[in-house]
Amino acid sequence: MALLSMKNISKSFFGKMANSQVCFDLEPGEIHALLGENGAGKTTLMNILYGIYSRDSGDIFWKGQEVSFTSPRDAIAFKIGMVHQHFMLVPTLTVSQNITLGLKEKGYPFPDRKVLNATIMEVSQKYGLQIDVNAYISNLSVGEQQRVEIIKLLYRDAELLILDEPTAMLTPQETEYFFEVLRKLRADGHSVIIITHRIPEIMSISDRVTVLRDGYNVVTAKTSDISEQELSRYMIGRQLQIIQRETILSDTGREGIALEEVSLQEKGRERLNSLSLQIAPGEIVGVAGVDGNGQKELVEVILGIRKQSSGKIRMDGVDMSSLSVLERKKLGIGYISDDRHQDGLVMDMSLTDNILLKTHTDRRFIKHGLINTRLVRAETQKAVEDYAIKTPGLNTPLRYLSGGNQQKLILAREMAGNPKAIIAHQPSRGLDIGATEFVQQQLLQHRSNGCSILLISADLEEVLLLSDRIAVLYKGCFLGIFPNTQELDLSQIGLLMAGKTSEARKESL
Amino acid sequence: MKQFGKLLSYLGIAFLTLSISILLILLVGSSVTQAFSSFLSGIFGSFYSVSEVMVKATPLILTGLGVAVGSRSGFINIGAEGQLYMGAIAVTFIAFWLNDLPAIVMIPLVILGGFVFGGIWSVIPGFLKVRFGISEVITTLMFNYIALSIVGILVRTWLKDPASSLPMSAFLPDGATLPTLISTTRLHAGLLVALISVVLVWLVVWKTPTGYEMRAVGLNPRASKCSGISVYKNIILSSLISGGLAGIAGVCEVSGLHHKLLEGISPGYGYIAIIVALLGKNHPVGVVISALGIAALQVGSLGMQRMAGVPTSISSIIMGVVVLLILARKSLFRRLLTDE
Repeated sequence: MALLSMKNISKSFFGKMANSQVCFDLEPGEIHALLGENGAGKTTLMNILYGIYSRDSGDIFWKGQEVSFTSPRDAIAFKIGMVHQHFMLVPTLTVSQNITLGLKEKGYPFPDRKVLNATIMEVSQKYGLQIDVNAYISNLSVGEQQRVEIIKLLYRDAELLILDEPTAMLTPQETEYFFEVLRKLRADGHSVIIITHRIPEIMSISDRVTVLRDGYNVVTAKTSDISEQELSRYMIGRQLQIIQRETILSDTGREGIALEEVSLQEKGRERLNSLSLQIAPGEIVGVAGVDGNGQKELVEVILGIRKQSSGKIRMDGVDMSSLSVLERKKLGIGYISDDRHQDGLVMDMSLTDNILLKTHTDRRFIKHGLINTRLVRAETQKAVEDYAIKTPGLNTPLRYLSGGNQQKLILAREMAGNPKAIIAHQPSRGLDIGATEFVQQQLLQHRSNGCSILLISADLEEVLLLSDRIAVLYKGCFLGIFPNTQELDLSQIGLLMAGKTSEARKESL
Repeated sequence: MKQFGKLLSYLGIAFLTLSISILLILLVGSSVTQAFSSFLSGIFGSFYSVSEVMVKATPLILTGLGVAVGSRSGFINIGAEGQLYMGAIAVTFIAFWLNDLPAIVMIPLVILGGFVFGGIWSVIPGFLKVRFGISEVITTLMFNYIALSIVGILVRTWLKDPASSLPMSAFLPDGATLPTLISTTRLHAGLLVALISVVLVWLVVWKTPTGYEMRAVGLNPRASKCSGISVYKNIILSSLISGGLAGIAGVCEVSGLHHKLLEGISPGYGYIAIIVALLGKNHPVGVVISALGIAALQVGSLGMQRMAGVPTSISSIIMGVVVLLILARKSLFRRLLTDE
């Protein structure tokens, strides 16, 4: 008998189906992968199970008994636990306090912390989830925080663990270690549902896989019976386009973007440590690294949003170090931020007004001191057509557009007027495969137009796909810059991303 | 469907407000029909009563406009009252200092003076906000008390009318008074000043690049910064305009209506301005409409007190109820507003 069985689950948001008649079964002691593109309905399905969303129709059976959770609390009472993509931890509390948060332990409200810690340590050692129970969450790495989330569920006796994109923030080595933990859990009788869009990981960890596409379940199969190619075809509905990258020889005589020993200290911490890099016209330099190792700082220093403590930044020989953000952008730098809602767009303004965010000081659009609305509208209309942005109208607030269309508007704005350089920080974050391909092709298009591009992505595959050279960023240092050729040693990159310089050197010998 | 639901929700608010006012009128033991008829005749009964609505609306438009400009760029100005009084001080001071200037020079000068004084009173909190992160909600509010006290000191000392024993200034020289628009009423040229300000604010905030920057900073300071828009400059600018408009309201009250400086020139216009801006959705046209509405409510309730014996404080209660209902509209009428 199946441990969990979800039958004909349907859910719609604002008239759009997120799940249509989805069926899902889970056997006891199985690692079951839920595969699909962004927006395919994976997380929605799991949130329905977990009681975060209510379903429109369908039934859920847990150990043969019909259940219907209205909150995660109910789900946890039935020993179902979920780790969200964005962790739900209190940064100012310790690991131990986070794990017991909300529980009425023996001695509540003043439980014996030593006894609790002993229980936590027992769980942690049993599954190899090493953690310092007295450390504060704010001092932990992403990988460690994830361990805390998992211990939290195991401490609550969860039999089923649902993990939403657990490997998104991990280095290849951390991922492998994490999979070892999952295998131990399985051996101990736990069941795991792992939500992901990374096919190689599915092949290595899961027993069975269910593929969702556009809210429908396409297939459920044993992992051993299915190939990577088949999975990707099920997931996308077609074959992936292989992006062709030919080397571009540019002798424009321009320098492109150059960083010379750029350092940044903030709040007494070294955020960037003497970074030097030159990106020639027609070159894409990709930065590989785990999120939070100085990527955001690097990008913002180049744009002038933060000021470097020392070092120089040049654009075609012009020292930009003392220029304002606006002056730098006027030199021809386009900026795609990793956080479009916060940094790139004004969500409550219309498409036209968001195009203005870059062009409102542009003389072309100003007549007698007033903004020439007609011209800006024409410009926006052109952007909507060129980039195939789906919108009800030019006056629609950006909030009502999908993530992909919002990102396209940023691209249209930042890539307008043939920029000499583009700083792209996670340009395809949260986009589905179609939109991702579009973004990547745009970057390559500008590369062939002689644009210097800095690409920062948490997705190593994207970096490998597009970059001419790859720089590994760890704790604000470039641990190495490698030409992206056939000979590139991936495991070495992975070790450097984790800061293991000595092991990486050994490996390369 | 959605538009219809929205309309219904506003009708719901009107209905609830009406029910609560009927309840209140019954509570004080008056006749509901008499109360309503005296309320309406208090507003529309005579040419004079209609002009009174305009007189009350003038400072509300100006201060409301000021609060709205501030809100648009994220500067929550609770201090329009104090800025209004600073404007009143400015006009009195300038009028007595340069007392023989002709009106054609004097009027623009006192308006400018009021703008600068009110503006300074609001730029200081603006500066404290952007430079030190001190909440402008608190500083602007505190500045109200300082301004009121300064007026209290001035009307007892330097600006006191030596011919009178009361704490007030002498009458302004003729050159510094705004002309009355219609001779039998109190309606003065301040209304024109207010309406010109409405047009100017609309042009500046909605049509110029600077106004665009101010609105962008108000909606998303982080994105503005990343696009090279100075949050610092725009908050300073919008706080200046915000306080300046409230200062002009003070100028209009003194040179249009009272013709002298005294302590009670504003019955809380600066605070009602916050409601005016809120109901007018921080848009110049909305501000005009809501200022007229609230002025009518106040003038009408005076009529209600005169003829039906219903205390005017009911109008304050109703104003409070309307604000609460508008703020709670989306959750009160959730069923109507979600498309199902």
